[in-house]
Amino acid sequence: MEENGNKLHKTMTSQPGMSDVVLGCVMPYIDDPKDRDAVSLVCRRWYELDALTRKHITIALCYTTSPDRLRRRFRHLESLKLKGKPRAAMFNLIPEDWGGYVTPWVNEIAENFNCLKAVHFRRMIVKDSDLEVLARSRGKVLQVLKLDKCSGFSTDGLLHVGRLCRQLRTLFLEESAIIEKDGQWLHELAVNNSVLMNLNFYMTDLMKVSCEDLEFIAQNCRNLASVKISDCEILDLVGFFHAAPVLEEFCGGLFNEQPERYAAVSFPPRLCRLGLTYMGKNEMPIVFPFASLLKKLDLLYAFLDTEDHCLLIQRCPNLEVLETRNVIGDRGLEVLARSCKRLKRLRIERGADEQEMEDEEGVVSQRGLMALAQGCLELEYLAVYVSDITNASLQYIGTYLKNLCDFRLVLLDREERITDLPLDDGVRDLLRGCEKLRRFALYLRPGGLTDVGLGYIGQYSPKVRWMLLGYVGGSDVGLLEFSKGCPSLQKLEMRGCCFSEHALAASVMQLTSLRYLWVQGYRASESGRDLLAMARPFWNIELIPARRIVGEDAVIEHPAHILAYYSLAGPRTDFPESVIPLDPSAAGISS
Amino acid sequence: MSRASVELDFFGMEKQNCCKSRFQKSLDRRLSFRGLQGALSKVNPELIKSVIASGLKNPQGQDNVYQMDSNKSFSVPSSPKETQSLFPALPLLTPAARATSENGPETAPLTIFYNGTVSVFNVPRDKAESILKLAVEVEGNSKNVEPIDSKVASPPSDRQQLLETLNGDLPIARRKSLQRFLEKRKERYFLFCF
Repeated sequence: MEENGNKLHKTMTSQPGMSDVVLGCVMPYIDDPKDRDAVSLVCRRWYELDALTRKHITIALCYTTSPDRLRRRFRHLESLKLKGKPRAAMFNLIPEDWGGYVTPWVNEIAENFNCLKAVHFRRMIVKDSDLEVLARSRGKVLQVLKLDKCSGFSTDGLLHVGRLCRQLRTLFLEESAIIEKDGQWLHELAVNNSVLMNLNFYMTDLMKVSCEDLEFIAQNCRNLASVKISDCEILDLVGFFHAAPVLEEFCGGLFNEQPERYAAVSFPPRLCRLGLTYMGKNEMPIVFPFASLLKKLDLLYAFLDTEDHCLLIQRCPNLEVLETRNVIGDRGLEVLARSCKRLKRLRIERGADEQEMEDEEGVVSQRGLMALAQGCLELEYLAVYVSDITNASLQYIGTYLKNLCDFRLVLLDREERITDLPLDDGVRDLLRGCEKLRRFALYLRPGGLTDVGLGYIGQYSPKVRWMLLGYVGGSDVGLLEFSKGCPSLQKLEMRGCCFSEHALAASVMQLTSLRYLWVQGYRASESGRDLLAMARPFWNIELIPARRIVGEDAVIEHPAHILAYYSLAGPRTDFPESVIPLDPSAAGISS
Repeated sequence: MSRASVELDFFGMEKQNCCKSRFQKSLDRRLSFRGLQGALSKVNPELIKSVIASGLKNPQGQDNVYQMDSNKSFSVPSSPKETQSLFPALPLLTPAARATSENGPETAPLTIFYNGTVSVFNVPRDKAESILKLAVEVEGNSKNVEPIDSKVASPPSDRQQLLETLNGDLPIARRKSLQRFLEKRKERYFLFCF
């Protein structure tokens, strides 16, 4: 910066406007990525200043650029987030060996990114050797390590992290598929770290971790604020809870003993974010003493029925985040609407299909949605699996939920008859009413949304950047109409389409902001060449051809996928057998 | 579908395979498969099943082959719950298996798109050719067949059927984490019940 200042001093007299010194003071305060993007486009000087001062980069798909390019532009990066596999991987739709290897990135980080303190890999393949390289090279400075829904490594790799990353404030492993050799890694962490604030191995199936090590960590790390673990008997955690006085968040555990025994468990006084695995109706009362403090409640992996939800939720007036399954039912949503006026995020997942496993009342429909819309006016995020729906309920959402940024609706396929289809008008009114909407998902069934409705989505979603559309529209006409709009749409995912390759390609060419497309289930053309109509420079097109997987009790047909994305790095060089690149030049088509 | 496209050098045996790019090989496979789809669209399903069964009677390099029950009746899928695979008992083909069979001289993958389902088999070359010849013959002889314009993807009624089947065939995918939880819950349920 001093060097720039000196150089600049000479030009200051000749160049009117803001000096680089001033700019250099101001720019570090600009954090929003879109603002930074704009700043870097002003002129060469601003581009360079942005490159020197940018703190965080998210690369939404690791194949869109290369480690080399990243290093050349942002050498002083402090925080990096990389995403690999398509989102569909979270639903078991993507082959395990699809790609997204962290190795080239880790190697570049080890060599050149001297300021990097935070690393977040999401849906990527990580090897033990990668963790060793990272720990050896950056262990002394690394503060945040997130292996988020990753796979390919074992607890041996984590040993290096535990031993060498002594400055770690955050270790996040949630939903990663980890090969478990032993629980030694947690012991290493306990012995070597005294600054840990967030520890997360939730949903990892790690069984060999010891509760003593957890207690040890709590004793050593006086700032321990959030702990999310795998299955571990709650009664064995009594010592841990005592040793963690500033704990605010806890998820995990399990309940294997007689319900009466849990009365002895006392939780830390500041606990306000909670999720107790396998908690049932009989254990639920242990939460009552501090329910009014709760800001976040995770009931996704609890054993509660609709009535239990009502009893618990009415005691939580300060709730801001609720995650649960559709067993909450319409009645539970009505209680939520009455009791939780500060609710900001609500996620309702799909429960079991078999009637015996879930409550009869456990279905969500227009009744619950309408109550929710009128009651929880501060909602910003709403994701829900419904069994029935009407246009009116969507209109309610558009009328009342003015703060909604992220809306996702899936119409389950159990009921043959839905009260009110198609949803054209409701969707239109929701989009028009929720002016802040940035993310939108609509997953219906044939007849759920006509071509007119699909056109409405295009017309009334000016700010939406990500969309997932399932079984919408009736023909290519709808898709083409849709693609005339959506001016901000960067990432589009579609499933169960009736659209032809020709229309898909044409719509891609019309969507002005589109940089990423994923499609599964579409009308393939006879020659298969219609997709190449979207061939253009820097646009990678990949196919995962149809597959047939034989499981233990079922044969699953996986229709073909299309994945297309802008890339500065050219086509991938690490394709597995299951992924085929479309190369326009090889097919004899000029792009 | 014109005869010429079905008689394409299906496995690229005549041409030098090694000179082709990987994409070109896959494109050839895809082009040929599309042609086959058109040809097979009018063939009696029972006939296809019996031909495949006889083709697999003497497999080479196969460890586990199941004889198909030719008495099993085939029903056209009309809703997601009634969907039946046309060839339920036949060996699967994973991409890994496909790789090894491509290199082996004896069998090669034969992919059949039929009525919205996709199946892949390892068949020896002569059997594959007899299947193809039969498909073309049946198409030519059948009185019910309408002449199919090679430029049209498939006759409208077929397309509609394919569309409906395809739309009905994709079940709503479950999130991995929820899936595992529901399975564990079932285990605990039965564990504590007995």
